[in-house]
Formats: sequence, structure tokens, C-alpha cells
Amino acid sequence: MALLKAGTRLKSAVCSTEVMIVAAPKEEVEVTCGGAPLVAMGEAGGGTLSEDAKGGTQIGKRYVNAAGDLEILCTKPGEGSLAAGGVALTIKGAKPLPSSD
Amino acid sequence: MTAVMQGVRILEVADHTFVPAASALLADWGAEVIKIEHVERGDAMRGLASSGLALLNSKVHVLLEHSNRGKKSLGLDLSSPDGLDVLYRLAATCDVFLTNKLPSVRSKLKIDVEHLRAHNPRIIYVRGTGHGERGPDADRGSYDALAYWCRAGIALSMKHADDASVPSPPGPAFGDSIGAMTIAGGIMGALFHRQRTGEATVVDVSLLGVGLWSHGAALALSLQLQRPWAPMPRSFATGNPLVNTYRTQDGRHVSICCLQAAKYWPGISEVIGQPDLATDERFAEAASLLKNAAAATQILAAAFAERPAAEWRERLAGFSGQWAMVQDTLEASADPQTVANGYVVDCKTEDGTPFKLVAAPVQYDEEAALPGRAPAFNEHGDAILTELGLDMEAILDLKVRGVVA
Repeated sequence: MALLKAGTRLKSAVCSTEVMIVAAPKEEVEVTCGGAPLVAMGEAGGGTLSEDAKGGTQIGKRYVNAAGDLEILCTKPGEGSLAAGGVALTIKGAKPLPSSD
Repeated sequence: MTAVMQGVRILEVADHTFVPAASALLADWGAEVIKIEHVERGDAMRGLASSGLALLNSKVHVLLEHSNRGKKSLGLDLSSPDGLDVLYRLAATCDVFLTNKLPSVRSKLKIDVEHLRAHNPRIIYVRGTGHGERGPDADRGSYDALAYWCRAGIALSMKHADDASVPSPPGPAFGDSIGAMTIAGGIMGALFHRQRTGEATVVDVSLLGVGLWSHGAALALSLQLQRPWAPMPRSFATGNPLVNTYRTQDGRHVSICCLQAAKYWPGISEVIGQPDLATDERFAEAASLLKNAAAATQILAAAFAERPAAEWRERLAGFSGQWAMVQDTLEASADPQTVANGYVVDCKTEDGTPFKLVAAPVQYDEEAALPGRAPAFNEHGDAILTELGLDMEAILDLKVRGVVA
């Protein structure tokens, strides 16, 4: 668990994924990629890709949690997939204002 | 289909249907359309639920597809200098700039004619508005239900004196869709002019103007007669028994519109199984038929009420006059003429979900234009920026700063 800060760059411990935190929740949260917690850019990785977290990351895509308070930009793609608190993150779509005719 | 718009590049900053559907048509005909969407929300259409239908929860947003088929999407923050710079760089590569932003918004965002032309003197600048560029309401927003329908006189032209309420447009984007076709035609004319003369024009189309034009024949009469156009009374018979809509036994309607009644009277007498009426002296001549129109109308009304629509369809098949079954939208889509001419086409979303759209009603070289699908929000963002010459580092920088989606 860690308190994330917008602007921080992190990387996956188990694949080539690199990310930048764009928006972070106020509370501590554990963000994983490929099943392993993200590590600081200079830090050494290790471990293996978890079988159930192999969806892959795509460069330039924004990944968000359901609450919408966590947003992570993928700056280098990899084989692992991102999750926060054990829940897979999804690619961010448009946030349309509700309207009706 | 001959892609007559192939090689034309269009840059669009527009929401909803009226203006986006114009470039959707041009995309059907081969143009490349780059749709700039709000960096977070996307086209406001993405959030629109229509008339109580829960579109937001359905798998295909067909209204979005109708007006954005075949386009590319880039989410861009036009309120930031860097976002504007991207827009200008894109404009430099485009033939047409298309927007539905109001005058004050265009100038605030610096996307008005002067700014765009500074980056591309040859760009055709196209504005779709509610009420036109001049006049006290030039800067007021509108929708087709307002400017096209209510303000242009169409709604009251459909309201019977005893109606307690004013008729609404028949469906979503009714005025928008014909307005979009009008814009598309305007753009094609401007491209032709530029090709011949080298001059880039400013093109204006408004919902009010399109509403007036749609209703132009009635307006001309109304102005000539100096009275507001209004529907014929419910009990009104036209004076031509062969210009009327008759109810069938099963509650359907057959509409007949034979302006030369006397010519077709023998034919319709055959159709209703009363061939003797052709020589009946009340109806045999044009003048007598006109004089006895009420009686003829009653005979036809009684006859049509005796058989179901399906039977009339068969009986009328060989009739040389002009007629139509009054059809609902599903029947219209399945109409053999619709099918034979490819007026409704099969489309698919990216994940293969099928849906149907009405094709562009102009066909080149005898083939319907098959629409591509609408883009997901910012689907082509990175590709568009890469094509502009930005490397991934630069694109990521724009993303981090929220300039692009």
C-alpha cells in the first residue's frame, strides 16, 4: 500500500510496463501490474507475471478505477495488466454529461 | 460506389447531429474526417439518452453512429494553448473546417475564420448555427426542435385549430439530418469553387434557414396569400377524390395522389371492383368528376374500408396511378424498394455488434455508400498526433498535461 502522487513515474516489477500517475486517491492504494506491486523507476524488479493479470498495457492509454479517483497513464507498454486494490483497471473512456431529448 | 470525396480532409469541432452528420455524409462518400472532441467528455452526443429510450445502456449508440460514421476521433483541450496549436497544425493539413460553435465561442476559443485562415489560407470555413450569423439571436444556441421546427413555422403549420398542443417533430434529429445534408451540399459547392478559382469561401447553414427552405413551397404560398399556413381541416376533401388517404378494413391507410384524376378514374374503378364507375356520367369527365368529387370520395372510402391493406397492395400493384401504403419505420426499412436500392445498410461496431443505418440518399454510380462505424472516443488520437509529426514522448507529455485525451 502506498499513498500515490500525481506526476510520479512507476514501473512494473514483472514486465516492461511503465506508467505515470495522473490522478491519485487520497487514501493509500496498492497498484499492481502483472500481479506484482509497481515499483519506483530506479528499483529492481523481479518475480513472474501472474497468470490472471496478463491482459497487457497499451502505450498512451489512460487506466482508471471504478471510483474514477485513480488515473494512470501508460508510458511504456508491457504484458501485465494493471489493477488497484486487486481490481483490474479499465481504459478510460469519455465522461459524457448526462442529457436527454 | 465512386468515392467522390476521396482525398478531401475535414476537421470538425462540433457536437450533436446537425453539423457532425454533414461530415458523416462526406465520410460516406470518401472524405477523411477528423473529429475533435472535448478532451474529457467527448461529443455531447455520447451522453445523450433519447426520448426515454435507455440508449446509454445499449451496446450500440445508433444516434452517435448516424452522425459520426466513418470518422476519426481526437480528444483535445481547445482551451489550452498547446491544444489550440495542435488544432492549427491539423487545420493546415485540411481542406475544410466545420463547426457548430456559436460566434462568441469561436472567437473566445480562437477558432474563428481569421485564426484558422492564418494557419491555412485555403481552408473552407463552415458554420452550422441555430439562427444564422447575423441578427439579434446569432449568438443563441438552438436545436432542430426549436429553430427548425418551431421557429421556422413548421410546427404551427401542422397544428389543427382544435389541437390543444403543438405537434413535435416526428423523431430525433429530423431537422438536423436534412440540415446536415444541406451543409454537405454547401461544402461540396465550396470545394468545387475553390478548385476552379482558388478561392476559399465561408459557408453558413442554420437550422432556421433549413426549416424555412424545407417549408419553402408553403411559405411562398403563405406570403402570397398573406395568411399563416395551416393544415387542411380534418374533414377536408381535396376536391380530387384521387388525392386522398383511405382507411382499410384492418385500420391501415392507402394514400393516393393522382393529380390528373380523370385519367386515373377508370383504373381506380377497376381496382375497387366497380368498373362501371368509369362510364358513370357523374364521374366520366374531368369536369363532372370534379363536380361530384364528394360522391366519388365516399365511394372510394366505402370500398377501401371493405378489404384489408394486404389485399389493396395486390389490387393496386397493376394500377398505373400514383399511390403508397402508409408505412411505419420498420415497414419502410423492409420495403422492397428500400432493399433493392440499398437505402438501409448493415453496419457493425468494432466488436462486431450489428446494427442498421439509413445510407446517404445520394448514390454515385449506382451503388449505396457503405458507412464506416463511429469512432470510440479519442480512438485515433495517438495516430493523428503521430501523423502530425509528434513523437511518443511529445504525445505523452500532452497527455500528462491533459491537453489530449
